[in-house]
Amino acid sequence: MDIQQLLTLLLVVPIVSSIVLWLTPANFKALSTMHILGSIASTLVAVKAVMSVVNGETLFAYDQILFLDSLGGVFLALIGVTGLLVNLYSVKYMQWEVDKGEITVKDAKLFFTLSHLFVFTMTFSVISNNIALMWVAIEATTLSSVFMVALHKGKKSTESGWKYIVICSIGLAFALYATVLLYSAGFTVINDSHSTMLWTTLMTHAKEINSDALKLIFIFALIGFGTKAGLAPTHTWLPDVHSEGPAPASAMLSGILLKCAILGLIRYYAIIGNSMVGFEYVQTIMIISGLITIFIAALFLIRQHDVKRMFAYHSIAHMGVIAFGLGVGGVLGLFAALFHALAHSVTKALAFCVTGNMVQIYGTRDMTKMGGLIKIAPITAILFGIAICSLVGVPGFAIFVSEFLMIQESINTGLIIPVILFVIGLIVIFIADFSHFNLATFGESRTKILTNKIEWSANIPLILLASLIIGFGIFSIEGWVTLLNNAVKIIIGV
Amino acid sequence: MIDLLSVLSILMIITSLLVFGLRNYKISIYVYSLQTFLLVATFLLLSSTHLAEQLSVWAGVAFLTKVVFIPYILLRLIKKLGVVYEDEPVAGFFVSPIIAMGFSLAIAMSIYPIYLEFSLIKESIPLIASITVFMMGIFGFILRNSAIKQILAYCMFENGIHLSLALMAYNSPEIAELGILTDAIFAVLIMSVLAQRFYKYFGSLDISKATELKG
Repeated sequence: MDIQQLLTLLLVVPIVSSIVLWLTPANFKALSTMHILGSIASTLVAVKAVMSVVNGETLFAYDQILFLDSLGGVFLALIGVTGLLVNLYSVKYMQWEVDKGEITVKDAKLFFTLSHLFVFTMTFSVISNNIALMWVAIEATTLSSVFMVALHKGKKSTESGWKYIVICSIGLAFALYATVLLYSAGFTVINDSHSTMLWTTLMTHAKEINSDALKLIFIFALIGFGTKAGLAPTHTWLPDVHSEGPAPASAMLSGILLKCAILGLIRYYAIIGNSMVGFEYVQTIMIISGLITIFIAALFLIRQHDVKRMFAYHSIAHMGVIAFGLGVGGVLGLFAALFHALAHSVTKALAFCVTGNMVQIYGTRDMTKMGGLIKIAPITAILFGIAICSLVGVPGFAIFVSEFLMIQESINTGLIIPVILFVIGLIVIFIADFSHFNLATFGESRTKILTNKIEWSANIPLILLASLIIGFGIFSIEGWVTLLNNAVKIIIGV
Repeated sequence: MIDLLSVLSILMIITSLLVFGLRNYKISIYVYSLQTFLLVATFLLLSSTHLAEQLSVWAGVAFLTKVVFIPYILLRLIKKLGVVYEDEPVAGFFVSPIIAMGFSLAIAMSIYPIYLEFSLIKESIPLIASITVFMMGIFGFILRNSAIKQILAYCMFENGIHLSLALMAYNSPEIAELGILTDAIFAVLIMSVLAQRFYKYFGSLDISKATELKG
């Protein structure tokens, strides 16, 4: 298969899956089979594409408008792996919702159709070399996922859908200004309209582009992509949207979408870092942004009793951690930030999907009404425990690795005060989480249990996610480390 | 001779104040349509004065999508909901547009020199207008609670960006402009559907009444 075909397939497979699902009659069995087949096909193409860039190659297609480098490969891997496992889980989840009469089969069909469209837009954002198309794709991720979030009919769901589209669109408007300004500042040195839009060309010419313009561009990009990624202070949409959507939608949004927005920001970070402005400027801004985000999230986390809202604040906190990693910079800091993107992706996908199981068992998201989960559904309780342990950075779980590396690199580079603040933030989150975990897992249930039967078809994708969390926490997986190292080289312009 | 380009730009700023400030939804939508018409006229003028042929195509596409289609969608929406006037916003009808305009102009004046330096078409007043209209859209979101006014605010900042794009990057590949416009149209369609749902569940278009999600 040639490169052009491969990159085309990355986009065609999810869009075709989406169209096929849309045309499939509203029969749950037929829909779920098509949904699973489509997800597997998308993931196989994504894995094949990622494998071809592990060693640092960059693939181009369509006059370089589409491309895949190791940096994009890292994020494509998230879309492929996390996307598949969440999609597998979503079949059972939607079945529960239909059985309970919360949604109709037609709603489930809409959800499945949109989830492939959503994968298409996210993949497009990752493989666009044209910075304007990357923006278009990131904005399209919002548009394609609004009705995945606002799937239920009712006040809360409508409110969350409205907040989502409005706040993200305002935020991203600034990123569009960043794009326009970068293009016009780049055009004065590159003088070719096609190549000026290409990220790879802008990277090559970064040093020649006007520094003042680039500084303003980075601020705009941070507001824009930062809003979409859930960085404070424009994170306010995230808790509402992640807590109101169906569990698999929250898992996709938190596990993959936020990372795609961060990739958008990283592309700007790399250009400005490699220009005459230098990395110090972008790193300082990212450290401040990261720490503010972590602290705001930690403060709100303490008083959350709604399990999905708690995890939503976790998403914000961990986007803060990734921002902090970008702020620490250097080979190790950037490696840690990218590793954290994967670690958080699988962890948060597991966390949100587990909340789906918990709501099925208790019929509520309020942890003060739960209790005794370990006796009622031990597998769900263990999976919940694994998600929490990874989220708070217990050694042996994936997130520990990246947080440890960030702390190590901060100390090495003399960032003592930021690292102390970072650790304090993490400790607050640690305490808040374990108290919540105890509340839900041990003791006696404080509400009537609806069911204690969670089918294996729901648990298997979650067990696979949990294995990834532990696998990445304990083992150093060679292909993955090589991919990350090559991605870091791209960012620092080696 | 009166500089037609400046006149069009100033008219765009004035229409942004009207879209923001008018209470009657129908008239606000017509004024938005007029603003987009001024944008189309600006594109046509620039395409002849600055030999930017691409802009005549932009003008055609913008006319169909934003002078005709989007206002049609919005007019249909208010007809369906049977709403005529916006409820009194927090800062009052008179004060909030003035605050918004003051801040928007101040921001535009402070950052337009950077834009001007790299702009392909070096015209100060249209650049100031583009940033002002954009910021009026942003303030529209912040200061107005009506869902329809928020959709109009979205359309307005989109117009601001469109003008900036035309001035600063009219020679950029068409695919980018088409993609941005497609996103904008879908965003308006989705927001219209959500606004209808909102009205159904809350019995009002006032976003501040939605307080189910907190903390």
